Amino acid sequence: MLSVQNISKAFNRKKILKNISFSQKEGESIVFMGRNGAGKSTLFRIIARLMTYDNGSIIFQGKNLLKVKPIHSSKLFYLGHSPGMYHPFSAIENLNFLLSLRKIYKDQLEILDVLDQFGLMESANEPIGVYSEGMLQRLKIVCAQLMDWDMILIDEPFSNLDKDGLDLVQKQISFWRSQNKTISMILHNKNHAENFCDRILTIESGIIK
Amino acid sequence: MTNYFQKRINQWSLSVIIILFIINILNIIYNTPMVPDQHWAQKIFYVHVPSAWVGFLSYFIVMISGFMYLTSRDNRWDNIGLAASEIGTFFISLVLITGPIWATPIWGQPWVWEPRLVTTLILFLIYIGYFMIRVYGGYIERMKRNAAALGIVAFINVPIIFLSVQFWSPDIQSHPQVEMTEQPSEILSPFIFSLIVFTMLYTVMIRYRVYVIHLNNGMNEDV
Amino acid sequence: MFFVLLKKELFIELRSKELILSMVVFGIAIVLAFSFSSNLSRTVVMDYASGMFWITVLFVSALGVHRSFAYEKEYDAFSMLVTAPIDRGLIFLAKWVSGFIYLTLMEILIIFPFFKFLMIDYPSNILIAISTTLLVNLGIMAVANLVSGIAMRSNLSEILLPILFFPLVSPIIIAATKISTGVMLNESYGVWEIWVLIVGSIIIISGLAGYALFDYLVEE
Repeated sequence: MLSVQNISKAFNRKKILKNISFSQKEGESIVFMGRNGAGKSTLFRIIARLMTYDNGSIIFQGKNLLKVKPIHSSKLFYLGHSPGMYHPFSAIENLNFLLSLRKIYKDQLEILDVLDQFGLMESANEPIGVYSEGMLQRLKIVCAQLMDWDMILIDEPFSNLDKDGLDLVQKQISFWRSQNKTISMILHNKNHAENFCDRILTIESGIIK
Repeated sequence: MTNYFQKRINQWSLSVIIILFIINILNIIYNTPMVPDQHWAQKIFYVHVPSAWVGFLSYFIVMISGFMYLTSRDNRWDNIGLAASEIGTFFISLVLITGPIWATPIWGQPWVWEPRLVTTLILFLIYIGYFMIRVYGGYIERMKRNAAALGIVAFINVPIIFLSVQFWSPDIQSHPQVEMTEQPSEILSPFIFSLIVFTMLYTVMIRYRVYVIHLNNGMNEDV
Repeated sequence: MFFVLLKKELFIELRSKELILSMVVFGIAIVLAFSFSSNLSRTVVMDYASGMFWITVLFVSALGVHRSFAYEKEYDAFSMLVTAPIDRGLIFLAKWVSGFIYLTLMEILIIFPFFKFLMIDYPSNILIAISTTLLVNLGIMAVANLVSGIAMRSNLSEILLPILFFPLVSPIIIAATKISTGVMLNESYGVWEIWVLIVGSIIIISGLAGYALFDYLVEE
């Protein structure tokens, strides 16, 4: 599914990632761990083509992501730390926009149903600018559930969530795993990591240990 | 690593250019004829126009380097772009200083909105922005991309800027330089010689500056 | 996909109303400043009216474009656009067209105060005045969005944007002033035709450059 080869990235000439290489099979779940500033989020943003890299290659579904048009990475979905949505828009408007960006057409009832599952039904029509951090986190997972992807990159899926939110997201990730979806996550909690992945990769000093 | 000037070719090129430049200056001062009405001020022509040529050539190189950097992500192109932008701005500054000095006897004032000078001034201001991007453009790697893009945008606008200013003030008395290019060979020959010397000087300067930038980047690299 | 992005740009403004409101208020403030500071006779003001109008538009468009890109930075909304399987040049085109629409709306709202405060006569040929203004708006917004793309992710984007924008837009301002003066004085098209061509060239050059370069500018 994904093959990352010799990815390096420097910020102000300081190498954050040094020849990172790993492969991920279809249906495999990997958790990336490491200290703050290790480069985990940077690696995800590079794979998602949000950030440039200095050298290396990223092969996704047989195509080198740097050499093909963005349309070829449509089956790769990235959920970053921030919501990645527009604060004046409501949850429904944001979801409709993001779905149309990927030419996915969903029934409004289906969208409302998923929002309801994650406890966001009541505030579905309010601008997300008024949402709490936990609500935004849930909304991100709702977005992922509605999208059509084969592989997802999630940066800290469990952050800012209360107990109910945690249960919902954990169930959702388990559901995706049961659907043989390929998942990469960044986590800080080793217990969470061991429950939701096939292997753990630790990034330390710019390399995978 | 050998010092830049330990290499024979670099020693020779520096020596040759220094000698040629001195010859050029002496030639301008003693050999070139005095033009009526302009007197000594006219001699600035032999420095002003070559400076403008070198400045614009340099900015053209910034544009090419920018394009090559964006497509190849090779840092050497960024080094060339940076060197070219610095040296180009130096020569463009010379143009903005020498232009009014030369034109004051003819225009009666240091500045009028003459197309060439105005185009040069606008380009100079754009490159102030370019250097600000270099400083404030974020982390180094992103800054390089932004600077490359700006270098491309700045130069492709030069013909438009020039044309618009030229049509804007057709009644402004043309820059004395225009008349000078129609002059006889005793003026044109030293001018061509000065042009060649300035271009050679530029080549030496940019080669050295690229070397220093490369060295600087290499020393700052944290492997 | 372009229409999806354009719709997003327009709906965001419909929802928040921050952009148009700030552009209009800022525009009127500049017009007022011109009225207070110019102690000129009416005939002299007529000579300078075009320049005053386009200076106002220049400042307002810098503000508008900066605000338009600010939406993308908040909540990192831009990351969703950049990671989407779309042609990134379309983001530039959508910003360009939406910026053109906002600028035109702003001009519609400030044009009457402009003429009234400065006590200027309206142009006799309204249709030509409108069409040339629309053309210039396209040119200004092309350059503004291109520059904003370059300055967007910089540390001092609010300061870098006007510093880069104003020199680059100077040919358009020269052309716009010449065209508007020609229209106001009822000069024939042949007198100011060259300026229309210059603005047209800038639109093509800046539009193409923006479309091509945006792919390199949007990545972090």
